[in-house]
Amino acid sequence: MPRANLNLDKPTPLELENLRWIIITSENAEEVFKKLEEQGIDPVLWGLTDKDFELLAKNFAQIRNQLKITNDLLDKYKKYYEPEVKNNNTKK
Amino acid sequence: MFGSLKIAMVAILITGIAGAGMYVMKLRSDNAILKANQLKLESAVADQKALIVNQKKDFEDILDANNKMNELVSILKKDLDDLDKRFNKKNRDVGKLAIAKTESIERITNGASALATRCIEIASGSPLTEKEKNATKKSEINSECPSIANPNYVPY
Repeated sequence: MPRANLNLDKPTPLELENLRWIIITSENAEEVFKKLEEQGIDPVLWGLTDKDFELLAKNFAQIRNQLKITNDLLDKYKKYYEPEVKNNNTKK
Repeated sequence: MFGSLKIAMVAILITGIAGAGMYVMKLRSDNAILKANQLKLESAVADQKALIVNQKKDFEDILDANNKMNELVSILKKDLDDLDKRFNKKNRDVGKLAIAKTESIERITNGASALATRCIEIASGSPLTEKEKNATKKSEINSECPSIANPNYVPY
């Protein structure tokens, strides 16, 4: 007697917020903070050096790749073991 | 004496007929068993054939899944290498560029960040839009992850 299909729903795809990068140099720092104040934003920034920005971008790309691989792996397992179950995450 | 011989002959005859009858009945019974066995064998052979066909399909599916996963890993690695090139192509120093062309690098960074954000959504299972699906030109693609965002784009 075969086991019943597990048939769990796939996780809901992410819907992320876009964030705004501000480049601040020794020359434009004053102007940047002034603009922030004018826009009613607290004149404070979290900073990254150019090298750390590069590392952050690469870290995110690696996380993205891992996410894609894991997601595809899940699809392949579902397709193999539960071929008759309709994927709930088909493109609309 | 002649009477007894007659009786013996009749008895032998009756026994012979009864024996023959029983033999025929046994043959019929054996024949029915053989037919049933034949049917079971044919059914077992058919089951085995179906099993072999299923196993063959399973092996093909496994091989196909492995190939596709390997292909995916290699195209994703290419995206990562491309990102590295964008930062370091021809000894490019993004920091110096940002000092020299602050506004334009800020604009490029924000554009790329939005595209990278969309890449993560796609990687998490978000369906591709028609625009993403139909993109074939460099100007139309998501340059951060064309391998997963633009299936119809062929790099040129």
